[in-house]
Amino acid sequence: MDSMYYGDVLIVDLDAGTTEQVDFEEADSTGPGLAAGLALYRKHLDAEPLVFGSGLFAGTPVPGACLGFVLARSPLSGEPAVAPLSLFAGAEMKLSGFSMVVVKGRSSKPVYLWLHDGVADIHDASALEGKDTWETTDAIRREMGESMIQVISAGPAGEAGSKLASISINYWGSGDTAALAAVMGGKLLKAVALRGLGMLDADEPEEFYTKAVELLAGARKDKGFRSICEAIGAPDIDAWLKPLTHRVRSCFACPSACSTFVKYNEAPSVLESSDVVEPGMLVTSAAASLWLMQGGWEAEPACRAMEAMAREGVDMVRGARELAAKPLAGGDEIAAAVKSLEGSQGAGWPAGEQMNYGLFGAWVPPLANADAWLAANRVGYVLGICPTYLMLSGLDAGSLFELCAPAAGVELEVDRIADMFG
Amino acid sequence: MRVKVKPLECTGCALCELACGYHWDEAFSLISSSIMLYRAEEKKDYMGIIVKTDQDLFIGRPEGAGAVKLGELQKGGGGGGASAKPILIREACDLCESVGLEPQCVAVCPHDALYLE
Repeated sequence: MDSMYYGDVLIVDLDAGTTEQVDFEEADSTGPGLAAGLALYRKHLDAEPLVFGSGLFAGTPVPGACLGFVLARSPLSGEPAVAPLSLFAGAEMKLSGFSMVVVKGRSSKPVYLWLHDGVADIHDASALEGKDTWETTDAIRREMGESMIQVISAGPAGEAGSKLASISINYWGSGDTAALAAVMGGKLLKAVALRGLGMLDADEPEEFYTKAVELLAGARKDKGFRSICEAIGAPDIDAWLKPLTHRVRSCFACPSACSTFVKYNEAPSVLESSDVVEPGMLVTSAAASLWLMQGGWEAEPACRAMEAMAREGVDMVRGARELAAKPLAGGDEIAAAVKSLEGSQGAGWPAGEQMNYGLFGAWVPPLANADAWLAANRVGYVLGICPTYLMLSGLDAGSLFELCAPAAGVELEVDRIADMFG
Repeated sequence: MRVKVKPLECTGCALCELACGYHWDEAFSLISSSIMLYRAEEKKDYMGIIVKTDQDLFIGRPEGAGAVKLGELQKGGGGGGASAKPILIREACDLCESVGLEPQCVAVCPHDALYLE
């Protein structure tokens, strides 16, 4: 069973400094994606596992098929929790040749894991100790001579074991609201670097491709945060960001471009590659943006604050919520405020009550239909489809399940997915 | 007839690369397509699309789009670094005629950043 790499697991033993690729024989019964990740987490529980995984369709043209995950025991709750690997990270992980990676134990020195071409190497990361996520991403890309490597890293907050720590994907933070970056820091695992030059085979390629393209043709297409704001009845983030907006960006294979690149170190209208090396920030968090906007922050200092939090490896949602009460204007003030964040706030959304589903944290926006959001998270993390896109696009889960057999010979349905999560 | 690019409409989802790669390999990858998303300058959000034909490269840079003869390309071939497969050694776009379909990159682009002319 090697379609979509379903059934393979990489075991990384940081105590011994070894890597080993093994068959995951239980994959048939557990199911793919996060369901397999949870089974592996439980199987290796004694070794305090940190599981990196990707959903079944990640890396394919199924609409929204960008999603991977990080799974570990959260220092905040003591229970297993998930952080999403979006942007290109989840898909590139699959295309690097691995769909599941279990990191066990603790290294004796800082290391990073380099996954590429079906090969896993553990590299010394002593030189990266104390570096922020931007410096870490740049350093790994420079060392490997490859500018499209995806870097999942812990910043200084993660190294320090801060409960505000949050994993960063390249430069842009992530939806980690469970301090899983502190788990990385505790293992002296500074980063996981990915490059996806592999090839994904489907069991029935023509049927899979044809059905995926049919879904794409009817898929909802959006640009900006509009659909998220409309869905939760929140004010318009796009209008707030507009004076700084350069372009909008999608995650891998997603028809909805719900990240916005803003420029504040050069004019947003500059289109060419100028001498300004760090012109701005990719704003990926609607929740963090809403907290700052509703706290009275102007867009520019708010975006600078999000940059500072991303660099430090701090959870932008909890950070923004704490910062929201005290708008700041200056760069130095903002950097100092970010460094002195106390983690006094939970990872809720400003509109509505905080929703906490344990495993999925507070990543879901506060919509009336909580059960539907929970189901979307389960389906999304198993199939590798962004749950936000799944929810807001109205993409039919039944149509997605029809793709499972031609993809990898797997039969799935809603009830079976609910069973996977106990 | 050729595939052209409206670079500012592109959001960088890479669906065009996946569809083209499938056309050549019946599998999903980012290394065999005749069309390539240029994303080597992520921190600057400098992103474009390159389409290889047997005569030239149609390069959609944010600041403008146009064709460059293969012999006139000064450097790169898509960028990305040591492990990237340069577009110059990939198959040239055949408008998907070999599989009897409309150009798949155009068909799957969610934001009409690609068109035929």
